[in-house]
Amino acid sequence: MIRCKPLLGTFVEIATPDCIYFFNAIENAFVAIEEVQALMGFHNPDSELSHINARCHLKAVHIHPWTAKVLTIAQEIHLHSGGLFNCGIGHRLVASGLLPRHFDRTDEFGGIEHLQFLEPNLVQSNLPLCLDLGGIAKGFAVDLAVNILQCAGVPSGSVNAGGDLRVFGSETQLIQIRNPAKPHELINLGNIYEGAIATSSLYFAKRDHALISHLVNPLNQEHIEFSESYSVIADQCVYADALTKVVSISGNTNHPCLSQFSAKAIKILSTHTA
Amino acid sequence: MYWKPNPLLIIGLAAVSAPIVAHAKIYVSVEQAQKILLPNKPLTKNPIIITDDLQDRMRSASSIRHPFQGDRIWRATDGGWFIVDEVVGKHEMITYAVALSPSGAVTGIEILDYVESYGYEVAEAQWRNQFIGKTAADPIKLNKDIQNIGGATLSCKHLTDGVKRVAVLYDIALKNQTQIPKAK
Repeated sequence: MIRCKPLLGTFVEIATPDCIYFFNAIENAFVAIEEVQALMGFHNPDSELSHINARCHLKAVHIHPWTAKVLTIAQEIHLHSGGLFNCGIGHRLVASGLLPRHFDRTDEFGGIEHLQFLEPNLVQSNLPLCLDLGGIAKGFAVDLAVNILQCAGVPSGSVNAGGDLRVFGSETQLIQIRNPAKPHELINLGNIYEGAIATSSLYFAKRDHALISHLVNPLNQEHIEFSESYSVIADQCVYADALTKVVSISGNTNHPCLSQFSAKAIKILSTHTA
Repeated sequence: MYWKPNPLLIIGLAAVSAPIVAHAKIYVSVEQAQKILLPNKPLTKNPIIITDDLQDRMRSASSIRHPFQGDRIWRATDGGWFIVDEVVGKHEMITYAVALSPSGAVTGIEILDYVESYGYEVAEAQWRNQFIGKTAADPIKLNKDIQNIGGATLSCKHLTDGVKRVAVLYDIALKNQTQIPKAK
């Protein structure tokens, strides 16, 4: 069966073989995704992420192991991408009206590199931070859901968070992505076995009348515009999700950062036609 | 991870499949959604008449123009509610179910079906009606090969607006229904 819930600002689908015994596993997977949303959502002023943003420059903040894991991976990718991936651009999205303003500050904000782990679940920063985990938490949530399904004995299936997806199980699964020129048409990408794919593109942002792109280059703090789409295939969705930003910001589908995480990238031009 | 790319994609040739005019995904039926959101709670159908005033107030609270239908409301024996509604956007139509606690808090949301279109059709009732009441077993307009669709992330903002109007419905019309019906 395939079930679908509105979570993480998008539609999350969980597909498993039809079996009554998987009912609880699917339910638990959705609950875990809800918890990721509650911990790491920027919109929620009470999320753990909002607590970090509000006070980690004033005092150390205790965080959930899942938040710690996402922040650790974010730092790892920041390091290997030469700074092209940086969650510390939330203030730019607040300034452009794409994210809500929770506090009035015009400080110099630091980036993910300024976050220090005092203990595995205790963080602080020497600069104010405005982290937005929008470019990585969705992938993490997909992986978490897949782990829960697998631990419950679900033999195969997929979890798709609005287009960032991971497949698991004994069979290869056909993957199609939207054509950036005509998003209602699908491009056959081939088959994936035990892997994840995430895509970065602006066609839905533009369709929904956003005036400005939600992708910010952390190095010059400018919003970037492009019409093509960039997909990254990796073992885990958290890496696929985060690495799409590296590839779309650099425009380089052979960025050295990809091989570091055993990932591959595909660029689909918006002129791509049949 | 193992990826076997589509060979046509590699050499830059026709990799676009036939355009999808209406991409419909049917997830669960109303009955399945009831079992998912309100397990082991007998439900009784509790339709209400949506007056023009109520329709206006729901519209202004949620910015959804498509009228709400009052015949898809159920009440649980514990006083909770189960409501089916749909949101019709410019590009999609989403049928969804919301479960409310006896005090009106949203306890769960489940998508029943999602129909996507990039044309004029979605605004026409006749076009939409062909999808209503379909189950996942219906082959009509459903391409079972189209399962794992990647791409830019879709926003669920319209649906959030829909849930807002269900909350308004509760406040105005359901909250003061004190009589709890017997389950049949």
